[in-house]
Amino acid sequence: MPLPPSVRPGAPVALTGAGVVSPIGNTLAAFDAALFAGRSAVRAQALDLPGIELPPVPVASADFDAAAEEAPSRVPLDRATAMALAAARDAARAAGLAPGSFDPERLGVYWGSGMAGAATFEATCRTVYADRRRMRPTSVVTTMPNAPVAEIALAFAARGAALAYACACASSAVAIGEAMRAIRAGWIDVAIVGGSESMLTPGVLASWQAMRVLVPLGTVANDAAAVAACCRPFAAGRNGFALGEAAAAFVLESAAHAAARGATVGATLTGYASNCDGVHITQPDATGQARAMSAALADAGLAASDIGYLNAHGTATTAGDAAEAESVVRVFGPGGVPLSSTKAIHGHLLGAGGAVELLAALRALSAGRLPPTANVEAADPAFAIDLVRGEARGAEGLRAVMSNSFAFGGTNAVLIATRGA
Amino acid sequence: MTRPTFAAISSVLVEKFKVDGALIEPATTLEQLGLDSLALMEFVFAVEDRFDVRIPEERLDPRQAGVTLEQLAVLIDEAAAARPGSDAAAA
Repeated sequence: MPLPPSVRPGAPVALTGAGVVSPIGNTLAAFDAALFAGRSAVRAQALDLPGIELPPVPVASADFDAAAEEAPSRVPLDRATAMALAAARDAARAAGLAPGSFDPERLGVYWGSGMAGAATFEATCRTVYADRRRMRPTSVVTTMPNAPVAEIALAFAARGAALAYACACASSAVAIGEAMRAIRAGWIDVAIVGGSESMLTPGVLASWQAMRVLVPLGTVANDAAAVAACCRPFAAGRNGFALGEAAAAFVLESAAHAAARGATVGATLTGYASNCDGVHITQPDATGQARAMSAALADAGLAASDIGYLNAHGTATTAGDAAEAESVVRVFGPGGVPLSSTKAIHGHLLGAGGAVELLAALRALSAGRLPPTANVEAADPAFAIDLVRGEARGAEGLRAVMSNSFAFGGTNAVLIATRGA
Repeated sequence: MTRPTFAAISSVLVEKFKVDGALIEPATTLEQLGLDSLALMEFVFAVEDRFDVRIPEERLDPRQAGVTLEQLAVLIDEAAAARPGSDAAAA
């Protein structure tokens, strides 16, 4: 029996709702305002580590009260899990995904996180080793890597799937893409997807600082404006990123399912590809990245010239941006696609990055405007790229957008979305 | 069982675990509170922290059927009395 068009491999999958908790806003309106103005949320944070003197680090935190988020399990929530629930609930509300409007056995939750539970895990280490207090009975279920997906599944009584993806900075892009494949294949009809990350704790921050990938604040640590402008993706002299915390969620469903329940389709997910460099644990590889972008284009049935905006991975590290500039040119040609990195304003969101940056690309698609790369006077002259910087750029008729996520461990994930149903 | 101990246990149940106050009587068993086994363990931890005591594991398994709030309060009072520096321990 032939499959219905909505589940044919390569078929587009409807995006019917989004929710976000991020350093640049917890509503789509607030998110848009900062995104298109290039307004940075990066600030300096001191590292409170007993007996160790370390300079402050740049971070981007969300204005979010984790204690106010209700836990479906009634166990304490890690901050990242609370953010995940808030974003998922907002996305479901926006999509009108209320109980009774779907079959729970056909609902899946696909979620990405690099180190879910990291903040609570660090706190429990302090409890034992520094405070010499006992562990809680709920420590395990609060810190387990699938805690966010499990809590979201409980909140919506999802019976189809509850899968957690941990592939560092590609985690949530992979989660979204794998859900798209499950819907195309007909395993499920509808999914709550996305990612979350919150690990702005002293031990984790010091670990990233030790890798020398965070912008060294040096003498400007007390200058708020300079700290806010410290991350400069694709600029000559760029020297790293700020860590951020966030969650973003979407409702994905087959076109038939969206139509049957009368959901408004804001955009469609048309392409996804994931592969691995297989070369180095941290060094990015332009060949692997280019293969992933080309495969996503083929999956979407689009040519490179159809893509009107690329939200780059753009970590603002020397090696990371150089590899991406090279892979983008290989796929799109010199200056072949307008691109920006929004990490300059919301920080590197790690496992949540793919979801938040897909949201940024979708907001561009919906507004017909391209968000700028903040803090950058000019692109590194070594790169043959069309870097959107300064003001947001008008892009009327924008039809398709791409979002890149490239991870430690070599995982590359690329998502493509197009306007409308 | 002392009245303040029971009152404190009640307030932990209502405030932290959102248990309906009408359910809370000395004869109420832990299983009647509607908490799952994990929440019951957290509840006992919270009560112990409130009184700064530890009930020895062999004296109480909150998952055991039939344990009442009154029995829990008595165990708390006993543990408080046995605490170094308490009046009872000094006597």
